[in-house]
Amino acid sequence: MKKKIIGLVDGQSGNIGSIKKAIKDIIRKKPYQLKIIQSQFDPNQFSKIILPGQGAYTTLVSNLKKLKIYNSLKIYLKNNFPYLGICVGMQILSDVGYEDKATKGLGIVHGEVKKFEKKNLIIPHMGWNSLKVNKEDKILTPAFNEKDFYFVHSYIFQEAKRSDVLATTKYGKNFPSVVKKGNIYGVQFHPEKSHKNGLKLIKNFILNS
Amino acid sequence: MLKTRIIPCLDVIKNKVVKGVNFKNIKVMGNAIEMAKFYSETGADELCMLDINASYQNRKTFIKTVESIAKVINIPLTVGGGVSDLSDITNLLNAGADKVSINSAAVKKPNLVKKASLVHGSQCIVVAIDAKRLKGNFRVVIKGGREVTTKKLINWALFVQRLGAGEILLTSMDTDGVQEGFDAEMLRSITAKLTIPVIASGGVGKLEHFYKGHQTKSTGLLAASVFHSGKYTIKQVKRFLDKKGVPVRI
Repeated sequence: MKKKIIGLVDGQSGNIGSIKKAIKDIIRKKPYQLKIIQSQFDPNQFSKIILPGQGAYTTLVSNLKKLKIYNSLKIYLKNNFPYLGICVGMQILSDVGYEDKATKGLGIVHGEVKKFEKKNLIIPHMGWNSLKVNKEDKILTPAFNEKDFYFVHSYIFQEAKRSDVLATTKYGKNFPSVVKKGNIYGVQFHPEKSHKNGLKLIKNFILNS
Repeated sequence: MLKTRIIPCLDVIKNKVVKGVNFKNIKVMGNAIEMAKFYSETGADELCMLDINASYQNRKTFIKTVESIAKVINIPLTVGGGVSDLSDITNLLNAGADKVSINSAAVKKPNLVKKASLVHGSQCIVVAIDAKRLKGNFRVVIKGGREVTTKKLINWALFVQRLGAGEILLTSMDTDGVQEGFDAEMLRSITAKLTIPVIASGGVGKLEHFYKGHQTKSTGLLAASVFHSGKYTIKQVKRFLDKKGVPVRI
């Protein structure tokens, strides 16, 4: 049987070591193989793509363009192929990000990325926080409700359509922590750093979505 | 709700966790990789490891230890000790650290904090500050407590926050190793003014001390010997805090 290919995008935005390890553990002895995406690619080649990101929206978008990943990814997403964006990898699914300057995003999930507004809030939002699952899904079962995941970010996804938000998290106010459009997912937290529950979510995405 | 983080800290030489009072009578507590794995599996919210003897010779083994630890845990890992330039930071991040802590080097060349947070993002730059009381002020000390600087703690903390530090790890030299509790007064002096997270370090001996640490508005509570010696498990600490109404990940 031909192996399905999981693509892991290295957008030179933080370390891909832990997510790589997580994927390898999940696909061991299964008909999948992992390929690191570092330049333009054939969107039809991959059955799943995961894009982890840390740091700034603007930096990630410009890195992806510089590496010529951006356009291939855009075609991949327009085809509604399965994608999991982590942290900034989720944020760039939006229409626009206001970090440093306004930067156009991939425009897949309606919304914009802005800084936490509330005063007296410790920023970055760093540490373990829980999910409120609003909508059941193949990758986000009700078992994830009230479970803790590791977050580290200063910007949040705003103005999202209710129908695109699978889960929210409260910090100052409720913000979208899991979004979905078709087969395209974004999670604000770091599942690869979130112990068993995080690994379960990645596993669900790879094997069940 | 955001949970208070319980963070075991490993003082490491090469690949061994050690405990030493002022670098004297250094005692081996265990293998760093095994201990890291154990803490990750028993509920630690994060792990901190410091190269406490960052000589050129020991460094290679230490970096290998970081790599091995990153492979066996799936919680965030902060690594520090002997970080003196941008390449040290890059090497540690490449080895699998999620955050790197800068201590003495930040005092000697503050620009390093700025550069590092621009290159790698604030979220992975921790500034570790050691401080002690001197003539009615909290003053920053460096070189593992051996050199008192002229810097006042609060000014320094606010300064590194402006430079781009994503988090501050504050160790009180007055309470460290004494096991009579965190330095609440010192911690409050900075949590009252900073907008970035603060990790409290130095002085835990009893369960009650974790609760008092939480009350200082520190969002991370770091401890070493109470965990390494087996006096408390992380679960015990969390159950205690949970009963007191402190949000923790259980």
